Amino acid sequence: MEHDELDFAAALRRAGLTVAPERYHAMLEAYRGMQTLLRVLDEPLAYADEPAVSPRLDSEIRSGLPK
Amino acid sequence: MSAAPLPTTPLPTLAEAGRRIAAGELSPVALTEAALGRAMALNERLSAFIEITAERARAAARRAEREIAGGRRRGPLHGIPYGLKDIYDAAGLRTTAHSKLLLDNVAAEDAATTARLEAAGMVLIGKLATHEFATGGPAWDLPFPPARNPWNPEHFTGGSSSGSGAAVAAGILPLTMGSDTGGSIRLPAAYCGVVGLKPTYGRVSRRGVVPLAYSLDTCGPLTWTVEDSALALQALAGHDPRDPGSADVPVPDYRSALRAGVAGLRIGYARGFNGDAGVEAEQAAALDAAAQVLAGLGAEIVEVALPPNDHFQAVARTISHGESFSIHQDDLRRRPQDYARVTRERLMLGAFVTAAQYNRAQRLRRVLTARVDALFDSCDVLLTAAITGPAPVLEETDTGPWRKQQPITSVFNVTSHPALAQPCGFAANGLPLSVQFVGRAFDESTVLRVGHAYEQAAGWTRRRPEIAILPALKP
Repeated sequence: MEHDELDFAAALRRAGLTVAPERYHAMLEAYRGMQTLLRVLDEPLAYADEPAVSPRLDSEIRSGLPK
Repeated sequence: MSAAPLPTTPLPTLAEAGRRIAAGELSPVALTEAALGRAMALNERLSAFIEITAERARAAARRAEREIAGGRRRGPLHGIPYGLKDIYDAAGLRTTAHSKLLLDNVAAEDAATTARLEAAGMVLIGKLATHEFATGGPAWDLPFPPARNPWNPEHFTGGSSSGSGAAVAAGILPLTMGSDTGGSIRLPAAYCGVVGLKPTYGRVSRRGVVPLAYSLDTCGPLTWTVEDSALALQALAGHDPRDPGSADVPVPDYRSALRAGVAGLRIGYARGFNGDAGVEAEQAAALDAAAQVLAGLGAEIVEVALPPNDHFQAVARTISHGESFSIHQDDLRRRPQDYARVTRERLMLGAFVTAAQYNRAQRLRRVLTARVDALFDSCDVLLTAAITGPAPVLEETDTGPWRKQQPITSVFNVTSHPALAQPCGFAANGLPLSVQFVGRAFDESTVLRVGHAYEQAAGWTRRRPEIAILPALKP
């Protein structure tokens, strides 16, 4: 079993999900395709590059909180 | 008020219906009967509706007619039929999200957007087909069949607002509501040859709409014309303190802005994106032609470069899969068999997103948004592709867990900018092609202004699908 297949199986187990045997290969290939695309996320980012959804605790946001 | 004859042609646009109702030339009751008649006659072929709410619609139409006759016309949308993608709540009706999981889910109150359209006096005709939970793809292992493209029912409508696109293209309704997390308003608009507006994230409330990915979900209209999109947005836009993502930003007069034309505007054509995103030759040629039309109207066309498409796709997939898995993880564990195969498998991909990947995607999202924002220092609107080519054959649509071609519309879900998809021609096989106009955050006015000017000059809206001669569908 390849390393990435072990990672795939571990992620499924941790998430509590099962894949039917006849769909196992298709899901494994999907996992590999996804991880290939997501490699660009490993490119360097500056410390100052905060997440797009960092909380903004201004009045606009507070007004949306449940009373 | 005289009753119009039952039209065998498509329903009038919002603008025309509103004008004729105001003039006493058109009855809301007759208009509603026309919409119901077309919905019932065409749904067997198109599967656009999950539920047609005929009695509710007739009661609403009679009420509208009484109010208008009594001098209490509420505005330009009063008495005009509309439809809701079946992820929008309407009090007393089921919201199924096209899924077995929600077959018994009856809404207690209207979604914020539904309430706004009802307050405008519109008449709900029914709930429309969607991809299950606004994700996945066309599927045959669901309680309802997938919608069909009115231009050729053997072809895909696009999704996930599939019924919304089909109902407008077929002339059943002048306005339907869709939702857009990665392109789910603009893709069916593009494939069905109609106008689809994804407003700026935060412009239109999402309260009462089944979520897919909280930081990407956007609600908006599908219509036949850009003017109708402006009319719809006028009713829909506004701050909702009960939607945590809603923005408190003033709402301008969208319709009056349409008349300003495009002379003097700078339009940035992301021409290089065509190659980067795999846009087919005839779609690319149609975009070139659209740019030439706008230049002929006095706009200045400049070429601009978007960041690499694979960066947008990585960000969009990571965030969308991560957030949607967080919503569905319990049902994926407890009752996975109740999802369609394609929905289940695509939602499960979210289990593979790590916390670090999600956070880095949100960080890169901010970088990409800033780079697109910078383009608006020198441009008023961007022109890009919305689709790579015309609608594929429905039975050949990619329904694997990992799509080989990710929707290129998701670029502007990542950045949150308003984006409008509208027709820009037809492919050799007769199916629609589409152009996308994108504006500064909360500047839907300029996007609609450019779209309207282009639409008036290009004239693509004069061509409708020939519903009457559609071939019989396969059983």
